[in-house]
Amino acid sequence: MKSQYFAGVDIGSTMTKVVIMSEATLASVIGPTGPEHRKLANRVMEEALAKAKLAFEDITYVVATGYGRVNVPFADKQITEISCHARGVAHLLPEVRTVIDIGGQDSKGIKLKAGRAVDFVMNDKCAAGTGRFLEVTAEELGVSLEDMGRLSLEAENRVEISSTCTVFAANEVVAKLSDGVALPDILAGLHEAIATRIYGMVRRLKIEREVAITGGGAKNIGLVKALEAKLGFPVLVPPEPLLTGAIGAALLGGDIVREAAEKGETLVRSERRLTEASIFT
Amino acid sequence: MTDEKKPEERKPRKHATEAAGKIGPMVKAALKENLQAKEEGKPIAYSFIFSGYDEIIRAMDIVPAWTENYAGILGVKRDAQRFLEKAESENFSRSLCTYALCGLGFDSWREELGEMPPDPPWGGQARPTVMLGSGQIICDPRYKWYQAVQHYMPDVPVYVGGLPYPPYEDDYDYRDVQDYYVKYIVEETRGLVEFLEKHTNRKMDWDRLSEVVDISDRTWNMISEAYDLRRAVPCPMGTGDAMNTMVPMTFMMGTQEAYDFFKDLYDELQLKIANKEGVIPDEKYRLLWGGGLPSWFALTDFNYFNSKGAVFPAEVTYRLVEPVYKLDLPKVSDPLEHLAWRWVKYWAYRHDKARKRPGSNPDVERLIEYIEEYKIDGVVMHEAFSCRSWHPGLIWQLNQLKRVYRDIPSLILESDIVDISSYNEADTKARIDAFIDTLEAVKSR
Repeated sequence: MKSQYFAGVDIGSTMTKVVIMSEATLASVIGPTGPEHRKLANRVMEEALAKAKLAFEDITYVVATGYGRVNVPFADKQITEISCHARGVAHLLPEVRTVIDIGGQDSKGIKLKAGRAVDFVMNDKCAAGTGRFLEVTAEELGVSLEDMGRLSLEAENRVEISSTCTVFAANEVVAKLSDGVALPDILAGLHEAIATRIYGMVRRLKIEREVAITGGGAKNIGLVKALEAKLGFPVLVPPEPLLTGAIGAALLGGDIVREAAEKGETLVRSERRLTEASIFT
Repeated sequence: MTDEKKPEERKPRKHATEAAGKIGPMVKAALKENLQAKEEGKPIAYSFIFSGYDEIIRAMDIVPAWTENYAGILGVKRDAQRFLEKAESENFSRSLCTYALCGLGFDSWREELGEMPPDPPWGGQARPTVMLGSGQIICDPRYKWYQAVQHYMPDVPVYVGGLPYPPYEDDYDYRDVQDYYVKYIVEETRGLVEFLEKHTNRKMDWDRLSEVVDISDRTWNMISEAYDLRRAVPCPMGTGDAMNTMVPMTFMMGTQEAYDFFKDLYDELQLKIANKEGVIPDEKYRLLWGGGLPSWFALTDFNYFNSKGAVFPAEVTYRLVEPVYKLDLPKVSDPLEHLAWRWVKYWAYRHDKARKRPGSNPDVERLIEYIEEYKIDGVVMHEAFSCRSWHPGLIWQLNQLKRVYRDIPSLILESDIVDISSYNEADTKARIDAFIDTLEAVKSR
């Protein structure tokens, strides 16, 4: 029987992720989304296909997710990131019951049962509580995003960042720096502030162990530790936390194809041509 | 400049019932009636819906001007921002109730100009003769709003009332205190009659009041019977339409027109049920609008739910009546006393039920009742940032519902009643999409 291949395309606000799977993951690519992200989805897909040594015609089914999902013209189906994260985490870490996804533009809490999302909360109103908060303050402090979390763990006297507005919090940290407060103490305060907001939101769900953290925020050790302190227990982080949505999308693509085969249904697929979204042309 | 901003053009929302389609002209006619009354020198009363004053106002032939609802119209027309900004320029905080802010912005602007603000939607809101505040416990702007408006119209007298009702506690029976509440309400409404007689040159016709009360009792029953028909599968009318049919319930209570409207609605829904005609042909999910005022500028979100196979057979918001025959009202001859009993018994309607379920309360019981009677799959609520009185308690209700009843899927929408700056269409649709996914996941378990 001919092998089947499934692609998941997750277009987030800052990163575009593509995963190609068969029985296992064959290739994954993470690229910056950028201001004209929809133009790049096809290029990231081309890169992933090259890594997997496949042609686009070989892909059985393509699922797009993430906030830019509606603008992937070569996708066969669009599925919400809540469902894709749920499916991806359930596959990677089956013991997880609660997912905290910290993206560049929003953050979410997802409750899982039997591998599917049964409840969720989202913060899409305020940058505080998202990766954007850390991006803005990192820029103000002249620290790289990659170093922020590690440096925050060196704090001896964590300061309190009282502003809940991202812009004013950035001003506040600059003022504290001018007052001679040590950088790690400021960074620890920032991570505490963002963790407080995320925890406050996710508590609306009844948090059940185990808890996984996904998205770009999961790559920040300072934030992970701050959230663990709030939760009172350790959390799980997938091997590549940026890819859970794309993995979930690819897996859901497989589920759809299998289900259709069982029912004897023919699936409608997009033309196997990697094109840019026409919205920009 | 605030007066240069033009509202965004919007297509009207698609209705499922003919009844809902009649509402726009009815609201326009009511506003026209206000302006006409002003020209004819008839008394106009700024009023709040569901204040308990409706029948008194109608019996005295005073023309009500529903100020919250004019703010809602500004929201529907996406023309609220300039009035919110006007209120802000008068130093009122944007974090106050945005209905009140719209009203304050409109009134202060009209008083400043000595005429209607430019291009007022549907002709604008006429200057009142009196203003009738009514807090009814939960809402402090309904006490303070008109007092604040008096800064701009010091010559317009305000009656600051508000009909109380026994609060729910699980360790007492409201019947132990109900007589005190009834006595207080009768005195309060009698005071209102005296106030209106003094400031409007109208005399209360007590026989006429009895007739009006009788019509409103019958209207309460007719509304209940019509809305009960929405239990049918497929559902013949959704919450999107109910956000329209609230108009005769709230603007016109105590009139024959209101009764006739709901009788027509009842007949229309019967016909739809007989023809198996639903809001949508393929009904997959039945949802309860579990609380919160809607975002008036985004009523098309209900159609978006419909496009995903979801209908709203029931809502807590603007279901402001119960069948009078179920309220166990004592027979009294004084129409004010009858209104007082109806008020107290309406609010206490689910006290007994709640006391039987530890951790519950009457609001939670209402959610449970609707979930069961309307075969509900999930609950949607709207948390409007500018409402400090009702909306913060909604999350608690939802949590208690899940604790004392069952873990039903739920969605919290976050925005406002009229302040469109709090709204993001793409994010709202993303939340609805994700909610539909969770409903599907729960159904297929």
